[in-house]
Amino acid sequence: MRSRQIYSIVALMVASAAALAFPNVARPQTAQQQPASSPASKHDLTGVWQLQGIGGAESFAPEADMPPMTPWAKARFDAAKPGYGSRAAPGGNDPILQCDPIGFPRIMFMPTPLEFVQASGRLLQFWEREHEWRSIWTDGRKLPDDPDPSWFGYAIGHWENDTFVVESTGFNDKTWLGPAGYPHSDALRVTERYRRADHDTLLYSITVTDPKAYTKPVASPQRIFKLRPGAEIEELPCVWSEENEFTQRIREPAAHKPPK
Amino acid sequence: MNFKLGTTIVLLIAGLLVACGPLWAHHGNSAYDEEHWITISGTVTEFVWANPHCQIFMDAKDDKGAVVNWSIESQSPGILRRNSWTRNSVKAGEQIAVTLAPARNGAPVGFSGGKDGKIVFPDGHILKMDQR
Repeated sequence: MRSRQIYSIVALMVASAAALAFPNVARPQTAQQQPASSPASKHDLTGVWQLQGIGGAESFAPEADMPPMTPWAKARFDAAKPGYGSRAAPGGNDPILQCDPIGFPRIMFMPTPLEFVQASGRLLQFWEREHEWRSIWTDGRKLPDDPDPSWFGYAIGHWENDTFVVESTGFNDKTWLGPAGYPHSDALRVTERYRRADHDTLLYSITVTDPKAYTKPVASPQRIFKLRPGAEIEELPCVWSEENEFTQRIREPAAHKPPK
Repeated sequence: MNFKLGTTIVLLIAGLLVACGPLWAHHGNSAYDEEHWITISGTVTEFVWANPHCQIFMDAKDDKGAVVNWSIESQSPGILRRNSWTRNSVKAGEQIAVTLAPARNGAPVGFSGGKDGKIVFPDGHILKMDQR
């Protein structure tokens, strides 16, 4: 046992020296191991990423950019009482206030980090928010023709040169697209494009197509994710008892109109 | 195998040396006036380490000398952990000065995150929560 430990230590020292002496030979080109601003690893998105410049109040597209809604969607929008945006008011009915899953694509715009893990035949995304995850299948399969509804959908991805293109479908109609209360239907289809501008920078765009809800596709402005070396995904579950206490002790007192 | 392991360890150490730049995203809750940050001093009555956001409650005197119990929203336990907080970082009975964005409605409620929010302790150490 002891000799094995010594062997391991010696081997590590030799390997470390070799890695320093022959960096180009010894260093695998993986995501976390390159210095900042070096070229990005081709077709590797592994790492913990942080959306830049927006808080939890924003969604994939500004309210002003939203296309006309169908009557079905307009009725839902009118019934929504958001906690954020131009229609924000206390006593809202944002589904996440009762711990409904935040769902996709809204979860992509949370101000907490997410981790990408490349596995055989798929890319895994783990969100700190809700401690949630999804698979993006890269094994060549097609999207299901008639998917059952789900909170996070069914996703496939492929590379187009340096851009990872993800198509997803199979969503239920219970989530909002964002905190301002824009609805979507179970016909929602999402196209995402991920491109590493450099090692630490991931450019992200998303297009939502939902003919039951919107008269034309909605494209987001380009978003930026930055790599966070050393950061770890923590847990951030929605726990009804904690959420309720927070609403009573912080949200409501801060939001009520002052007495006249 | 060991060659790869050694390489990995060297490169992991190198990776840890790469500094992480400041990351701050605007807190979107319009209930708070983030244009007018204030600092209040008082005695902690409770520190709640819970999702979705940890909370500090503290007694502070208003401008007429009456004691008011403030409710202060901070960040999630995960975000606080990335800012070197623990569940013991703030304790009941401690004297602290909190820089916060107060509620627009005038209630004794505030948000102490973002780039301007901070907690200052009597020994001079400061806790922030601006690294998401």
